[in-house]
Amino acid sequence: MKCQKQTSDAEHLRECPECAAFVSAQRSVSAALDLWEAPPVSADFDRKLYQRIEQEVPWWDFLVRPFRPLAGPRWLPVAATAGLMVAVGLWVGRPGEAPMAPASAQVQALPADQAADALQEMQVMQEFSNLIHSDAEPRM
Amino acid sequence: MAGAVAALDYDAELMLRVKDGDGASFGVLLEKHRSSVVHFLYRMVQNAAVAEELAQEVFLRVYRSRATYEPTAKFTTWLFRIATHLALNALRDHKNERNQERLDDDTSEMPVRQVSDSRPTVEQNMVYEAKLEEVRRAIAALPEKQRAAVLMHKYEEMEYSQIAKVLNCSDSAVKSLLFRAYEALRARLAHMA
Repeated sequence: MKCQKQTSDAEHLRECPECAAFVSAQRSVSAALDLWEAPPVSADFDRKLYQRIEQEVPWWDFLVRPFRPLAGPRWLPVAATAGLMVAVGLWVGRPGEAPMAPASAQVQALPADQAADALQEMQVMQEFSNLIHSDAEPRM
Repeated sequence: MAGAVAALDYDAELMLRVKDGDGASFGVLLEKHRSSVVHFLYRMVQNAAVAEELAQEVFLRVYRSRATYEPTAKFTTWLFRIATHLALNALRDHKNERNQERLDDDTSEMPVRQVSDSRPTVEQNMVYEAKLEEVRRAIAALPEKQRAAVLMHKYEEMEYSQIAKVLNCSDSAVKSLLFRAYEALRARLAHMA
């Protein structure tokens, strides 16, 4: 647009054929682009995504996977892991099998932050599993 | 700055919850942005199956990045930066195939097929399909960055500043991209009033 705008937009468009033609063409383009609607997203989009996410599960998730079919309550994977940690602790502490490690060494064998991460990961995966199983309805 | 962004952006808050292990918040983000990401990718690559595959990769990358996520920008800026990056890579990877498939510009004025059944709905449908094809071709003919800018501006209603952040360029560069893109579109589509 070469002309200088000196009045209000509406007034200017009435007086300037060049700008009026420009605005009209731009409106036509906008209307043409509005015609292009994208197709709806596949109904199984989320299921496929959560499957791919599940394929990237860390190794400790495999330890609790056998408990999954029973995992109605959200606390079950946590309880299973806690039980597993106790079992590992008892196995490490068996008399005569291995030299008794000092208490501090046993703590180092399973750091608290690692255990917390593991529990958190399992909670997330449990929520994903719930989402997958409830994701059978088609969606737009 | 980061805190201010997080306070304004509910999506960023949700992403921080995902970072803290809340899988349900990831589901909320997915529900909220699934369609816009898939539709943006569809208009970029013009293939529904490829668009969904790329969109899956976008959300997978979001999920993978949860542990290191910091709300330094608007969540959708980050999301569309990933989507645009993947779309541009896909377009470059398949450039030769697309060039073979792309029809000559001269064929944009396709003759409307004459059919004996002259019911208005059929006729209208054919006109609509012809117009739609013209729009698709016009968008596909744009250079990739112009195409991304127009799609974000027109269909996602993003502001210049956000498009600039997604495309990693200045606001004035985005204005220039959009000006040239709309100029090209006007030349091809203005007659469709």
